[in-house]
Amino acid sequence: MLISLKWLNDYIDLSDVSINKIEEKLTASGLEVEEIIDYKSKFNNIVVGFVESSEKHPDSDHLSICSVSDGNSIFNVICGASNVAKGQKVAFAKVGAIVPNGNFEIKKAKIRGVNSEGMLCSESELGLSENHSGIIIFDESAEIGKNIASHLQLDDVSFEISITPNRADALSHIGVARDLAALFNKNIKLPEINYQPITKNITDFAKVIIENSSDCPRYSAILMKDVKIQESPKWLKDRLKTIGLRSINNIVDVTNYVMYEIGQPLHAFDLDNLSQRTIIIKNASENETFITLDSKSHKLKSNNLMIYDAEKPVAIAGIMGGENSEVTPNTKNILIESAFFNQSSIRKTAKQLGISTDASYRFERKTNPEVTIWAAKRAAQLIQQIAGGSILDGFLDVYPNPIEEKIVEVRFARIYKILGYSIEKNTIKDIFLKLGFVFLSDNNDFLKIKIPLSRPDIEREIDLIEEVARIYGFENIPEIVRINVTLNKKVDQTSLREKVRDIFVGLDLNEIITNSLLNKETAEKLGNPINLLNPQSSEMTHARPTLFAGMLQTISRNLKVKENNLKLYEIGHVFNQIKPEIVNFTDFQEIDSVLFAITGFSANGEWYQSKEKFDIYSLKGIAESLVQNIIPNKKIRFEYFTEANYHFEYGFILKIEQKEIGKGGKVKSDICKFFDVKQDVFAFETSINNLEMEAEERKFKTLLKFPKIQKDMAFIIEKSVTSEEVEKVIKKGSSNLLKNIKLFDIFEGEAIGKNMKSLAFQLDYYNEQRTLTEEEVDKEFWQAIEKVKTELKAELRGN
Amino acid sequence: MLDKIEQIVKNFNSEIETATQKDIFEEIRNKYFSRKGFIAELFDDFKQLPKDEKPKYGQLLNQTKNELNAIFEKHFGHYSSKNLESSFNLDLTLPPKIENLGTKHILNQTLLEIKDIFKGLGFSIYDGPELESDYYNFEALNFPEDHPARDMQDTFFVNKTFLLRTHTSPVQARLMQSTKPPIRALIPGKVYRNEAISAKSYCLFHQVEGLFIDKDVTFAELTGTLIYFTKQYFGENVKYRFRPSFFPFTEPSSEVDIWWQPKGKPGRWLEILGCGMVDPNVLEFNGIDSEDYSGYAFGLGIERMTMLKYGIDDIRIFFDNDKRFLKQF
Repeated sequence: MLISLKWLNDYIDLSDVSINKIEEKLTASGLEVEEIIDYKSKFNNIVVGFVESSEKHPDSDHLSICSVSDGNSIFNVICGASNVAKGQKVAFAKVGAIVPNGNFEIKKAKIRGVNSEGMLCSESELGLSENHSGIIIFDESAEIGKNIASHLQLDDVSFEISITPNRADALSHIGVARDLAALFNKNIKLPEINYQPITKNITDFAKVIIENSSDCPRYSAILMKDVKIQESPKWLKDRLKTIGLRSINNIVDVTNYVMYEIGQPLHAFDLDNLSQRTIIIKNASENETFITLDSKSHKLKSNNLMIYDAEKPVAIAGIMGGENSEVTPNTKNILIESAFFNQSSIRKTAKQLGISTDASYRFERKTNPEVTIWAAKRAAQLIQQIAGGSILDGFLDVYPNPIEEKIVEVRFARIYKILGYSIEKNTIKDIFLKLGFVFLSDNNDFLKIKIPLSRPDIEREIDLIEEVARIYGFENIPEIVRINVTLNKKVDQTSLREKVRDIFVGLDLNEIITNSLLNKETAEKLGNPINLLNPQSSEMTHARPTLFAGMLQTISRNLKVKENNLKLYEIGHVFNQIKPEIVNFTDFQEIDSVLFAITGFSANGEWYQSKEKFDIYSLKGIAESLVQNIIPNKKIRFEYFTEANYHFEYGFILKIEQKEIGKGGKVKSDICKFFDVKQDVFAFETSINNLEMEAEERKFKTLLKFPKIQKDMAFIIEKSVTSEEVEKVIKKGSSNLLKNIKLFDIFEGEAIGKNMKSLAFQLDYYNEQRTLTEEEVDKEFWQAIEKVKTELKAELRGN
Repeated sequence: MLDKIEQIVKNFNSEIETATQKDIFEEIRNKYFSRKGFIAELFDDFKQLPKDEKPKYGQLLNQTKNELNAIFEKHFGHYSSKNLESSFNLDLTLPPKIENLGTKHILNQTLLEIKDIFKGLGFSIYDGPELESDYYNFEALNFPEDHPARDMQDTFFVNKTFLLRTHTSPVQARLMQSTKPPIRALIPGKVYRNEAISAKSYCLFHQVEGLFIDKDVTFAELTGTLIYFTKQYFGENVKYRFRPSFFPFTEPSSEVDIWWQPKGKPGRWLEILGCGMVDPNVLEFNGIDSEDYSGYAFGLGIERMTMLKYGIDDIRIFFDNDKRFLKQF
């Protein structure tokens, strides 16, 4: 909201305070100044110019070449406006000026071969109005060379203030002035209301009936006769202009002016268009249509609060008036409405109809029911000053259940306890008094305070403590530099996640974070996703059921920029619907999933090694490293993965004892294709929870004291026999001297025979108590070989 | 005889594989190929063989000799042309044999830095669900029924009672209900806002929330703690201000701005976090006596902190996961 400095000065004397100090204090008290608009500097280098001559441009039908004087020099200016002529006084933007509308800088230019050193501006180009029919032509009295801000008396400064939703009271100049009074310890003065009414009984002329008093607790109105609708005077237009409002006519302008003065929205009806001069506040009929004064038609619902006359709807209460009763150039008699509406009723209707106005904005945040009559009278007084007419004596006011002011107690000790700093009692009291609060009792321990209805945000002791803190200034409450820490057990629920990341970093994987929202097709292809009620777009309608989608999208995106060799991981929540409807936390599953994927070449053709593609064994290696690092003392087993419906063409399950920790495999090619990935992708999926359940501390194992003996054996065996099976048989044929078996070579080829392969193993023998002899190891070794030969129809190779 | 040949070949192979010094190569040459070497010895044995076995072994011996010679020359040649000993023989301009480290996403690196600062102040780290109930996300945090944040415009709803959490604050409520004070918690996580994706906003972001509840927790302690944090993260000379603001779950509420001036550009105040004293309504609703206890809470956006620190101006780059971006951090 824009607040004008000149306007503020009507209520509080700020002449001794700098603009920067005002900005600083407002921001420090919670009314954040986002921008200061200084009209003088906004129109820098734009001056009243005098057109010495004007001729047609030789190469253009519509351009003129003008000589323009700024009082000191003459400039050559090309102008496209048709109304330019010799002898005019014009708005001349010199080189270096920034034209407000469009925010562009004027530079020297050549236009169709002729030099131009400036621009003659229209009202629209200067942001003064929407009139762009031609350049501005000032009257004779304009002083050549004078800055146009001074000439137009636009020498105000306005503050763009961002107002938090709790501060309804600050949506007006008087509201802001009240904070400034407390901040600078000054007094505010309200304008005096003083007019001579005509002594006619107002109730003979009009009546107000509230049918829905919960949504309209108060409705006040004043009547005026014989007003003259016309353009507003310059002072009023200027005020509105500095706060960004357009002038409409003198009546509407005054209602806006008073709203920005005190915060009370007003509406002026043409009294002669109100049937039986009656106002009835009640709900709309379902599906009734109504045309607002911006000529738009609205279909109403029965919960919309409306203003009716004796026969028809005439306004959407608190939001916008109707075309059928608005003030027109022919209006003579008016009714000025000044009401208090229920905030949530206005919010619901405004939202439902998609209308937001200055009035609804204020009602939604709660206005002050106390000021309705003051505001109506203030408007009547101003209208009379500028539009003539007479004001009927008295006012209409229906207020069946007057709202009472809240009474709140605040303890000085509590202020200290919350803020951690002792502020003097008198300072605290001054702050409250300047904010307009009234003390009902005042003693050494606490204050009992009556809160004005302009401050609906203050209901509790803590609200008053906040007022003290923000007016005293957060920056004046010294921060504590020494803190106490209770020696509780420390918890870190994210520590395993961090450990997993550390392991992946060591394994040369890059972490990704992908969007958790997917489109329907993608999400449903990969799981039972959870549907959002109100998605932002059709691309993000479901919460992801798996990390696969984000991973494959990431791979696809990287392939497009020729990053073909990827090792990526993601840790993140995934969501699967379990029951058809989500009523409880048990109706869906939210898992902290871990997924990594590899694709492309592991060795990408280096001078010391040849190209090698990632495969399922690379995947197994990373999976094993990850799991074994977290679960160091238990043995990992791999089993074939057989679930045909899952995302793998083939794969494995990684188990610790009987428990599945994760699964990995080659991602199905139709899934890859769906994501436009045209190379093999291998992926492994587990979860933080799975890892956490088995995670264990490392145990120390004593180091070998005696030398181990290593033996190699190689078998020719049928291809269908797995290496795991051979290892099992070797173990069966050995005693506990055999400590480790490692497969170190596989060979297939013509020489061995079709359907056959050669597997070579390295065996480690060791005894904890003594050094082994070659003989006893040889005995063991040959026993194992015999076992494999007989049980697996294997043939010993080489020896 | 056959066994002996095999044994010699095996020994030779293992010795040559591990040879990396000139002396060792010479030693191997002597051991196998000299006049008294193993190969010569094999030929001596050959002479002793019965006549009928000679043809069989003659060919094998010659073949073995040639093979071993070839292997030796290959290894020795390789060694002398490329490797070690004298750097005059090395081309050290060759690229190295690659050993890479992976990366943590920059957002998680920022989070790690923030966690580290607060762990040093005795904070524990807690986690919570992203798919939350209206109860924890709003009701337990003093959001009135018709608060604008509870509208569809800001929040992704799954149905009337479930939604994607809009902040990490529901974990505050969960902690207050399950733990007795003192509670000193840092809560990181993903949060969601119903916003269109652009350079400035994304439908989700990462937040870190802090909560401290104990007897005698004061606003002055909140500001002290957050000033410490701001200086730790942005440097000792950072210019900051506390500016009163409004949140339903804290009172007094404040935002912290820092003065931000990228090189060659005009400076401005930028909001980096929101904070305040936990509203007594929130304490009471979640079962904590607000006369005995008080607390503070704060929340900050990790994307924003990261963008400021590294001069990133488009939030979408975090979620594009271009490898060229990932590898920069």
